[in-house]
Amino acid sequence: MRALIIDDSRVMRSILRRIVTGLGFEAAEAGDGQQALDVLNSGFEPDLCLIDWNMPVMDGYTFLTRVRDNPEWRSITLMMVTTESEQQQIVRALAAGAHEYVIKPFTPDAIADKLEMLGLLTKEPTA
Amino acid sequence: MTALAPEVTDLHAVVEEVWTTFVGAEEPLCPRHVPAGTPLDQAVWSGAVSVTGAWHGAVTVELADQVAQTISRVMLDLDSTADLADDDVADAVGELVNMIGGNVKSLMPGPSTLSLPAVAAGRAVFASDAHEVARLDLLWTGEPVRVTVHCPGSPS
Repeated sequence: MRALIIDDSRVMRSILRRIVTGLGFEAAEAGDGQQALDVLNSGFEPDLCLIDWNMPVMDGYTFLTRVRDNPEWRSITLMMVTTESEQQQIVRALAAGAHEYVIKPFTPDAIADKLEMLGLLTKEPTA
Repeated sequence: MTALAPEVTDLHAVVEEVWTTFVGAEEPLCPRHVPAGTPLDQAVWSGAVSVTGAWHGAVTVELADQVAQTISRVMLDLDSTADLADDDVADAVGELVNMIGGNVKSLMPGPSTLSLPAVAAGRAVFASDAHEVARLDLLWTGEPVRVTVHCPGSPS
């Protein structure tokens, strides 16, 4: 499984990278939506994009709509990971094609639970 | 007109949640009594975000340099001997104020828009037409942490 982490904060990308690589993902990073489109166009094919909302150059919502407009990228699971917590924005992102919405701050378990619900993670049975 | 402000207890809950999630709970954030109008008594890093829309305000975080350095190392998973650039500290402080500001925004009437964070190695700068509506003074590892909310208009 591959994940593309899209956040303008290097600290947040580092935190998310540690979480998803710990869950077995290979991870790539982008600092804004345009960089993320460039990564996708370069041939990196992620199963999952973790997308911040507020970023310079191209925000996460615009990136989301660009991905959804391209049939080649239809299989990518899109998860917003953002401080934006207004109901209107959550509804807007889900209506535009986001599969999940995580509000910062989050715990590693919260991310893992969402990925499990999306079928991207199978929890090991406990002994 | 009195500006709508978040309750200090709600502000404290937001800061506590963000801090314990991303910095850790081993060292507690302790209350610190500081008389109103007292400037922060340390060399600081500061970060600010503004909210515009149904509610207007600015949320700022000021941290002692030692606190900013330590939380940056924790958030970047660096040990105490690793090099830490000013950009790393600015990024960590920016993300901290982004999360606190975003969660303060959710306490206030919407819809509104959150700005990108601005970070400075120094005290926070406030607009001349803004006044403080909520302030939280805390200590972490014995060093000061201050979170303030400013709104436009005159104080009541």
